[in-house]
Amino acid sequence: MSTSPSTTTAVHASGVWKIFNEGQSNEVTALQDIDLTVGQGEFISLIGPSGCGKSTLLRVIADLTQPTRGDVMVAGVPAAQAREQQNYGMAFQQAALFDWRTVRRNVELPLELQGWPKDRRAARAMELLEMVQLADFATHRPWELSGGMQQRVAIARSLAVDPPLLLMDEPFGALDEMTRERMQNELLRIRQETGKSIIFVTHSIPEAVYLSDRVVVMSPRPGRITDIVPIDLGERNEDTREAEAFFESVTAVREALRGHGGGAVRARAGEV
Amino acid sequence: MSERLKPVWTPLLIGVLALAAWELLVIVQDIKPYLLPAPSLIASNFFGDLGLMSSTAFYTGTTAIMGLAIGTILGIVAALLAVRFSVVNNLITPLAAGLATVPIIALTPILNNMFNITSRTPRVLVTVIIVFFPMFVNLTRGLLQVQPVQLELMRSMNASPKTTLRVLRIPNAIPFFFTGLKIAAPLAVITALVAEYFGGPQQGLGSRIASSAANTAYGRAWAYVVASIVVGLLFYLVVLALERWSTPWIGHRRSN
Repeated sequence: MSTSPSTTTAVHASGVWKIFNEGQSNEVTALQDIDLTVGQGEFISLIGPSGCGKSTLLRVIADLTQPTRGDVMVAGVPAAQAREQQNYGMAFQQAALFDWRTVRRNVELPLELQGWPKDRRAARAMELLEMVQLADFATHRPWELSGGMQQRVAIARSLAVDPPLLLMDEPFGALDEMTRERMQNELLRIRQETGKSIIFVTHSIPEAVYLSDRVVVMSPRPGRITDIVPIDLGERNEDTREAEAFFESVTAVREALRGHGGGAVRARAGEV
Repeated sequence: MSERLKPVWTPLLIGVLALAAWELLVIVQDIKPYLLPAPSLIASNFFGDLGLMSSTAFYTGTTAIMGLAIGTILGIVAALLAVRFSVVNNLITPLAAGLATVPIIALTPILNNMFNITSRTPRVLVTVIIVFFPMFVNLTRGLLQVQPVQLELMRSMNASPKTTLRVLRIPNAIPFFFTGLKIAAPLAVITALVAEYFGGPQQGLGSRIASSAANTAYGRAWAYVVASIVVGLLFYLVVLALERWSTPWIGHRRSN
């Protein structure tokens, strides 16, 4: 994979640092020297314990917060410009739907902000609701829907302007296990239909392995990338979750997550 | 329908029983009207001159409506400015908190001297001041209390602060607006009425309660009190109806 940013690269982060309260006694290094390249159409998961900076990294890519040092390019342009051009769609752990809008008008929101005419954005919203299989709920209010359905509306909204990149911050984190697995299949189907690049933050090892082409393992204090585990499971289906290769990958990611702790102990032992 | 009326039946029944007990007490104990007039006496005064009752109520109601409307508009403008410009927020909010502790109704005699006492103006002004605070405080809260994730979403969609105000903050503040209005509307009636005790035109509820009591027409004084309650209730119910009509999305919160 090329390290130089180009239009065939979905995201390219180089030398990214994020330091909160720099120079003060409560200084926290949330991100330390992050280098990450995400290819066009690639599915990347960021995984790690709380405080490892995975959400911060996603927010830096989304230009919701600025890096202290380093550069982030999204679709070949700086992150700030990518946000202004709506080069990505974003979904959060909370669906963040607006109660005063119907389901359809929630999906229309990004199009409305872009100044699309009324009939065109309504047609586009219905198309997206069909994709997430919620067309029958277009005129419902968000609070009439289950958590999983709300999250599907949020995903439909993030796809509204047809951005090449999806940024997802633990979107299934608040869902029960059954719903969660269904949503994972749904997301993979949408990805296949649309060819989006996806960066997906999660706490769940099986989730990361099932969804991703590569799992980026991060560790806290300071937040940094400790390992990148490639996943090669081919086409996902119902059998994938029970396949030998799946468990091997889960073990590989788990060991990568532990690896850091062991490494630090070894390093300290070496000093003595 | 019967499901919807259910919560009305119990208090209605208790009300009727209480009135009956009151009537009985006055008859049995032979209580004099200046102490406590019987409900039947109040009712005969109330219904005996419904035309006068309603024109009196209309006068005070109009003062209250004017104060409520102007106070609400000022509250909206101040809240929008406070949210848009933090300078204004830092200026108005402590001022609002400070002024809220002042017994504003006590300003009436002063306002009577400052403005034409023979007009409605001083009473409307006091009502405006009273209405302003609950409206301003609730609206500011509604405009500011949006979920952080919703703000991040707006930013991710490249929305300007102005767009965020229009698309997110203002709709979010509408339930808070009605909370404020539900406090302010009955308060406006009370203020318009009490302000009449300090002199000026005599055709309002407050003036007539005072003059009836002074003329030992206790049944009549109480009938005006009933008319005041009717006006206050009417204001509240209109606000409630407006709220249900304009914010169908918070139905789920109500039903919980």
